[in-house]
Amino acid sequence: MGDLVAVFVIWLVAGGLAEWATVSWINSGPWDSGPYFYVASNLGTVGLHAFDFLLEFAVAIFMLVVVMIAYSAVRFRVRRGERPSQAPSQSRYNGTFVGVWIVGSIVLNLLFWIHPTASGLEAVYAAQLPQNNKNALIVDVAARQWEWIFSYPQYGIQQAVNNQGFDALWLPVNRPVEFVLKSYDPAHNYENIDYVIHSFWIPAFGVKEDVVPGQTRYLYLIPTHITSTKTNEMVRVQCAEVCGGGHPYMEADVHVVTPQAFAAWVQHQKHLQASILNLEGIVGDES
Amino acid sequence: MAPAMRGVLWGLVAFFVFNAATLAVDPSAESPYASQVSVTVGWFAAMIAYLLGIGGLEAVARPMFGLSDTWREAPGWRRYFGFSTDHKVVGLQYMLASAGGFLVAGLVAMAMRYQLMTPYLTIFGSTSDYLTAVGIHGTIMMFSVATVFMVGGLGNYLVPLMIGTNRTVFPKLSGLSVWLVPFGILTVALSPLLGGFTTGWRGYQPLAGSDTNGILFYYLGIVALTTSSFMVALNLTTTIIFRRAPGVTWNRLPMFAWGILTVSLLNLIWLPEIQITYLMNLAERLVPLNLFNANGSPAMYLDLFWLFGHPEVYIVVVPALAVWNEILPVMGKKSLFARPVAVLGLVFVMLLSGLVWAHHMFTNIRATEQLPFSFFTEMISIPTGFAYLAAIGTLWRSRLQVNTPTLLVLMSMFNFLIGGLTGLFLADVPINYQIHNTFWVVGHFHYTIIGGMVFSSLAAMYYWLPKFSGRMFNEFWGKFGAIWIFIAFNATFGNFFVLGLRGMNRWVPVYPGYLVPENVWTSIAAFVLGAGFLFHAAHLWWAWYRGEKADENPWGARTLEWQTSSPTPEVNFSRPPIVAANFYSYGDDAPPVLWAGDASHAD
Repeated sequence: MGDLVAVFVIWLVAGGLAEWATVSWINSGPWDSGPYFYVASNLGTVGLHAFDFLLEFAVAIFMLVVVMIAYSAVRFRVRRGERPSQAPSQSRYNGTFVGVWIVGSIVLNLLFWIHPTASGLEAVYAAQLPQNNKNALIVDVAARQWEWIFSYPQYGIQQAVNNQGFDALWLPVNRPVEFVLKSYDPAHNYENIDYVIHSFWIPAFGVKEDVVPGQTRYLYLIPTHITSTKTNEMVRVQCAEVCGGGHPYMEADVHVVTPQAFAAWVQHQKHLQASILNLEGIVGDES
Repeated sequence: MAPAMRGVLWGLVAFFVFNAATLAVDPSAESPYASQVSVTVGWFAAMIAYLLGIGGLEAVARPMFGLSDTWREAPGWRRYFGFSTDHKVVGLQYMLASAGGFLVAGLVAMAMRYQLMTPYLTIFGSTSDYLTAVGIHGTIMMFSVATVFMVGGLGNYLVPLMIGTNRTVFPKLSGLSVWLVPFGILTVALSPLLGGFTTGWRGYQPLAGSDTNGILFYYLGIVALTTSSFMVALNLTTTIIFRRAPGVTWNRLPMFAWGILTVSLLNLIWLPEIQITYLMNLAERLVPLNLFNANGSPAMYLDLFWLFGHPEVYIVVVPALAVWNEILPVMGKKSLFARPVAVLGLVFVMLLSGLVWAHHMFTNIRATEQLPFSFFTEMISIPTGFAYLAAIGTLWRSRLQVNTPTLLVLMSMFNFLIGGLTGLFLADVPINYQIHNTFWVVGHFHYTIIGGMVFSSLAAMYYWLPKFSGRMFNEFWGKFGAIWIFIAFNATFGNFFVLGLRGMNRWVPVYPGYLVPENVWTSIAAFVLGAGFLFHAAHLWWAWYRGEKADENPWGARTLEWQTSSPTPEVNFSRPPIVAANFYSYGDDAPPVLWAGDASHAD
């Protein structure tokens, strides 16, 4: 009995310390992003809350098992100078221990599946419903080897670029965005057997969606903070599925801005596009 | 000529002859000397010629045609370089081949970690070269080390001894299969000759379809390695079912034998699936068929791959879980706790492992498929936990000798616990959206495979070293090495979780600058870890030949492999053992394992 109490007390103390550190981590970072380091979207927040919840339980479970193992290894070891002998207790079964363990692990796993997994998925699915995405900004995303191409059909922007001509994604804060994701190369649209799987990932948004050749995927989310790649490099579009030699370079800058700044940017893009098209004397998708 | 030399020579000749013959059939002016088709035909011919050369001609091919078996094994150490039907020779051949794979793939990993110390290319000429290195590392580690060392190596050597028989049911099958391991490792390692491949170890389509021809050697190498594992599984399953000594009932079957039985069943179920998948991929390239590109179904390949790919990780770890509960009762001199629960855990892991594959594809599959797959993924932790239940119950109030094998088992339990708990986060779909394909995943599976399986394999090597060689390792240096790799391992792969959360994705030799400091520390720890494994290899090598002479049964274990002399004699048991008691019953009043009257019975 004394050993059981000792394990329990050590677990309470060591586990308590570990939980204190865990909670400090959870409450750290901008907007309590904690373990996610930087979260700036509604879907990312769903994942973050699930992560925080599981982390607290995982740390407690980890500490319990480690304390049981370490305590046994220290307390029941054959000490220096002692002769190895048969263990005094040869108990091969303890219904209470086995019962608590099995029932406990079943209950915990069911709990984790209901919350945060199923409840989190409810929140994710709800965020994808049309009624929650009224007035969504549509961004067509074409993933090709190796480039992200963003176009804004509602504003007639065919390929959003920054002043250096690199692809860039601009989003107004707190407005739903509908990403329409295709693995497609506008410059080589006759070579569809060479299209590969990419994965559209913005680390700061806490979500990625695979982009599969021959399929159109939709992803709805709401950017919740004004930020940009310059502010934090987690705010970037990054391909997350290996797609050939250029995979590491397949990234693009992201700017989340005020609605006013977004409107100004749209005008700037239109101007830029018109001047390019005037230069080339054509209107098409050769950009 | 040594059989191994003859095999290599015949293989090379067959490759060039059949490669040239294929070109003769297709003599278009544009054909290069090595085309996709000719290389494939040449490779299959080389494999058959090589297997004939190492001894298959005399021992297998001749008897198949009704001629006599004229194979004679070379004496002494030279028998390890040719075909052998002795399960102990085959087991050691497997361990050496697998260790060779570990060395090759480990050196590749060191090169990768060196590259990752900078956010720009250094030792790799291109990002594709780096991706080829990733693919070679992963493929060789998974198919020739993780699924092979414990099953083909320890399994072939120990299972017949543990169940009290002198030979396996199909000794020639294992004798041949072991030679496919170096052949497969070489095939994969030589893929850069054909241009390498950028898909990593998973060979994702449709990228594989537009990859260079190195992907052929990826497919073919895996065909060789999985064929090897399949043949072992056939042999060991049959042996465990039909060759148990009298008294080794199912209720008394040793834990390690249970582990090998369950993974062998997994191998028998799932290896044919992945082999068919790779043959389809091969045909897709050679014909081509448009199965898995945008005109077919790219996601289909992902399903086919992970349908095998997830049971595979349990093929890796189930023998490790079994080794924990094999070693702990012996070292604690305490009866194995809740043995039926531990066995049921292995069996349920085996059954559930076929229901979880799509958790590798949460960012890809339909929403309707996410909940069931996350359900089974979370539930599989319950039977996996039974291994912990039995181990902790056994440790409790034991008389534990904390020596090198024990220490490595406890470390393996610690590491695998982290591997399992980090899997809990991956099983949660909204979290998976963020950490999928980041270094979190890489950290997670290295914790389960290195932390779980490799640490347990080292524990097993130390535990059974007196059995293999009749000599004992040095306790101080064994513990020293164990602590060394434990610290270096956790310093390396613990960092991976943080890197993943901070936005470090997989398959990138070039990455944003803010991740540099973390990567530098990770790489330094990785080099220390690599040196630690070399240290263990050197120590084990030294102990094998120069260590102190060990007692016949230095640990006082009760399982059958320790009831014969050490090192194991040529004939395992001169008289068939008859088992009269449980192998894991300790205590002063534990009945003897062997039936006292076995001498008279054997007559």
